Amino acid sequence: MDRLVERLDRLRGPVAPRNHNARTIAALTSNPGCARRGVLDAAGVNKGEIARHLGFPSGYGQSRFAIGRGNAFEAQVKADGCADLLHLLRERLGLSIPEVAYADLSTVGGNASREVRYARTRSLLARAAGDHDDAGTMFDHPMLRLEIAGYYAYLEPDLIAFRAGGRFYVVEIKSFPVIDGQADPAKVAAAARQAAVYVLAMRRLLAELGHPGDVVADEVVLVCPENFANRPTASLVDVRRQLSVLERQLGRITRLEAVLDALPETMTLDPAQPAGDVATSVRAIDASYTPDCLGTCEMAYFCRDECHGSTRALGRGVHDDLGGVDSVDTVLGLARGTRTPGVGQEEIASLLRFAHQLREECLS
Amino acid sequence: MSDEHGGAIETLERRIDQLRRALRRAAAGGDRTLARALRGDLREAEQAWDEALAALESRCEPSAPAPRVASMLSIREQVHHALTLLTVPAAPKLIIAVHEAFFPGELVAARLTSLRRDEERSFRVAPFGRPYYLGPALAADLLSPARGLLAISTWPLAARIVGPLSPRVDFLISAIRVAKRIAALPIVEGAASRLLWRFAASIPGAGTGAVYPAKVIEAAEAELAVHAESDSAHRLAAAERAREVLDDTESLFGARLSSPRISHGSSRRTA
Repeated sequence: MDRLVERLDRLRGPVAPRNHNARTIAALTSNPGCARRGVLDAAGVNKGEIARHLGFPSGYGQSRFAIGRGNAFEAQVKADGCADLLHLLRERLGLSIPEVAYADLSTVGGNASREVRYARTRSLLARAAGDHDDAGTMFDHPMLRLEIAGYYAYLEPDLIAFRAGGRFYVVEIKSFPVIDGQADPAKVAAAARQAAVYVLAMRRLLAELGHPGDVVADEVVLVCPENFANRPTASLVDVRRQLSVLERQLGRITRLEAVLDALPETMTLDPAQPAGDVATSVRAIDASYTPDCLGTCEMAYFCRDECHGSTRALGRGVHDDLGGVDSVDTVLGLARGTRTPGVGQEEIASLLRFAHQLREECLS
Repeated sequence: MSDEHGGAIETLERRIDQLRRALRRAAAGGDRTLARALRGDLREAEQAWDEALAALESRCEPSAPAPRVASMLSIREQVHHALTLLTVPAAPKLIIAVHEAFFPGELVAARLTSLRRDEERSFRVAPFGRPYYLGPALAADLLSPARGLLAISTWPLAARIVGPLSPRVDFLISAIRVAKRIAALPIVEGAASRLLWRFAASIPGAGTGAVYPAKVIEAAEAELAVHAESDSAHRLAAAERAREVLDDTESLFGARLSSPRISHGSSRRTA
């Protein structure tokens, strides 16, 4: 393990590792087949900076308006001793009337350092899990951590609710609306992936303290504005699938050794190096680009440029429709009949020729 | 509002329409004399309409909401009034909502942020130089300033300390105090009724839709009875401790946890 950490440190170069958060950890699971992303993320490489260095700056990031809106909605839900939230939790989780205790963990006595907050969170959650009577119900902005390839990633869920029934629930407050009981599925999926990261971190923490993992519910409470107003509503989201994907992905990071062993021992992605050298190094790590990457990975524009001319750049659906033929030139050649189909390409070649013929007829 | 004036205007509008139609017909038919006469009538009618509208406006003006003017009171006095009404530590948002509902003048939210720092500075320069100070509530566990809660220094220490149950207890007490104040008002409208509705929405049994102060008080008191005892035990114990360990400044503005030098960078896993 330490050898791996050393190797990743060397790969990153003499710069501080980029801190993971729930969003980036969740993104690790979005394209599990991509070794490039896996290696860069595990090494804590600042992908945005590398991409800029290579001449492919990405506009990737969260809009500050979205962040502002999210913060305002969270403040509203938590105002007046979490009055709105308490109402929803009583409705959804069946919190009993005496369960209203609230602990603010966003600072500890004016000290906002992550380590202090983590220690405090740990002691409060340990007390709650140990089943004391007045152990607390709502933990606002607790600090959790998860070990990613030798480094601790610090994570800050919006809130953790503890029910006297003995279960912890992760509460995720999001500002996208639930209209008529329906929300944007992509946003719900992203929220579920993030929440799964918190659930996993909670479970690891409680496991360290000697409590079984199922003390943390595998359902998370998603709080969103309802319909077109600003009133919050809560729904339970099952994150079991996201949890198992995440666990598998995090397990895989340690298996990066195989990928790293195939790379030159002295390879480094130090941004101080000339762009050409860094590009060569990055190209040495296999990537599997899909159009989805554009929304989740800072390296996407570089990878897209790299696989220009390959049908993979058009997405898995198109790639499969083209019968797994890799190059766009080959596809066009087969369709126009200027290229003789290789072994196993006869069927797709006749389909492509037919499609080409139809197109010609339509256009003429 | 003024049906009489409104009615007169409508009659005039109909007349103007009729005159315009007649004028158009006259102009199309080439009857110049009639057109000139009609044009004169139309001008008269339009002038009458303008006058009626001006009269209507002047009558309606007083009922339009008066623009909020800056209060003559200083901001600390305004906050003091709102907190005295609530009797419990409160967040700036609630203080502003209460002020808007019950007191004249405007409380500027932006100025609240610097208030706490100014108060502390003033106290350090001349301790107890003012009859009261506005300080943070103190968190029961570490006796540190609680995030975003203001309290008045003349309250007993136990009332300025917030334990784990206090956010809810203070919310319920605020609800009761606000509802009692509203019950005493002759007319309830605007900010006051919105405030009451906000409280009622998250107290079980306080009713939804039409909200009555008496019902809110009853529901809040019922829930308060569940928490009050253990909350005050918490607060009293913490106040006892605070008296022993805090000096004057700290008991008003909270103790700061001295932070040992801890690296803020990513901490390396220790073997």
